[in-house]
Amino acid sequence: MIKIYTTQTCPYCVMAKDYFKQKGVQYEEFDVSSDEKAREEMINKSNQMGVPVLDIDGVIIVGFNRSEIDKVLGAAK
Amino acid sequence: MIYDLIIIGGGPAGVAAGIYASRKKIKALLITDSFGGQAVISDTINNFIGYKSISGVELKNKLEEQLRGQSNLIDIKEGTKIEKIEKKGGDFLVITDEGETIETKTILIAMGSSSRRLNVPGEAEFTGKGVFYCTICDAPLMKGKAAAVVGGGNSGLESVIDLLPYADKIYLFEYSENLKGDPIYIDKIKNSGKVEICAMAAVKEILGNKFVSGLKYEDRKTGEVKEVKLNGVFISIGYRPNTDLVKDLVKLNEKGEIIVNHQTHQASLEGIWAAGDIADSLYNQISTAIGDAVKATLNIYDYLKKK
Repeated sequence: MIKIYTTQTCPYCVMAKDYFKQKGVQYEEFDVSSDEKAREEMINKSNQMGVPVLDIDGVIIVGFNRSEIDKVLGAAK
Repeated sequence: MIYDLIIIGGGPAGVAAGIYASRKKIKALLITDSFGGQAVISDTINNFIGYKSISGVELKNKLEEQLRGQSNLIDIKEGTKIEKIEKKGGDFLVITDEGETIETKTILIAMGSSSRRLNVPGEAEFTGKGVFYCTICDAPLMKGKAAAVVGGGNSGLESVIDLLPYADKIYLFEYSENLKGDPIYIDKIKNSGKVEICAMAAVKEILGNKFVSGLKYEDRKTGEVKEVKLNGVFISIGYRPNTDLVKDLVKLNEKGEIIVNHQTHQASLEGIWAAGDIADSLYNQISTAIGDAVKATLNIYDYLKKK
């Protein structure tokens, strides 16, 4: 299960979502600027406040980092 | 196999070079971590000729789409970082983080720049924990909170404007006496009623426990050290060129930018060219980066023909 924590203005969030779409990977998005519960969850998981935060089956990636995503997705297959 | 040209970077300069190289049928490879470069973090770009208004991400998509349209003529490696560049006789070896070694006759460096650091205590410790470099990304997290922007140039003023819809209170710290950004932005900030401008202020320390809780600065007029309580510090003091990889290969200026011949964009070492924010051009615009990269690529074409 993939969760992505975003704000609506963040370009790297758009790039991360586009990358998931391009790979045909399903994800659930949480807007942390309006969803306080999700914001708490994101901060607890990543120990920081910057977006995007990706949670790929429990592996946390901060920021849009393609090679990290590839590594985690590759290992999950 | 030996490439004629390796282009390093996928921002406007790198992509422009890729398109020109493919049209000239130069045997080229473009290597980039990701497309778009610094342009991506612009909310709207209003001075890119041909578009009345375009977002950074849209522009990145257009650039990538046009380059990939030439993919039968150019090789592209995305998501790859370069570990090392070495000289091998008259050629070069480019070593990637995937452990691959690729040989090439010429290199165009277009790795751009990244946010400059303030270098004060607390900055590294609280990065992501209240210290941010991408205001457009993280401004919404300041909803109902107090935040500071450091830097009174255009990127600082844009950061303040990005924060206006969210933060209750914004401090703007500028080291010199006056804000340097465009008057159109300064008016908007002054009229908002939310922004306290602290000029002649030297930020000394970012305070916090788990997350940022305040900031210490020196009032340079009086020498007094003051403290403000806040939840976020957005650092917008410009950019530094990403020259770590090439600093021992080519000559840099005092700002760390690659010194190039401005007619040809050749660097100090034969076989290496540079364009965009990483080169010592006087102005850093998307359009000038593209123009410089095109000049460099055409010059590389001429060089390869003679070689």
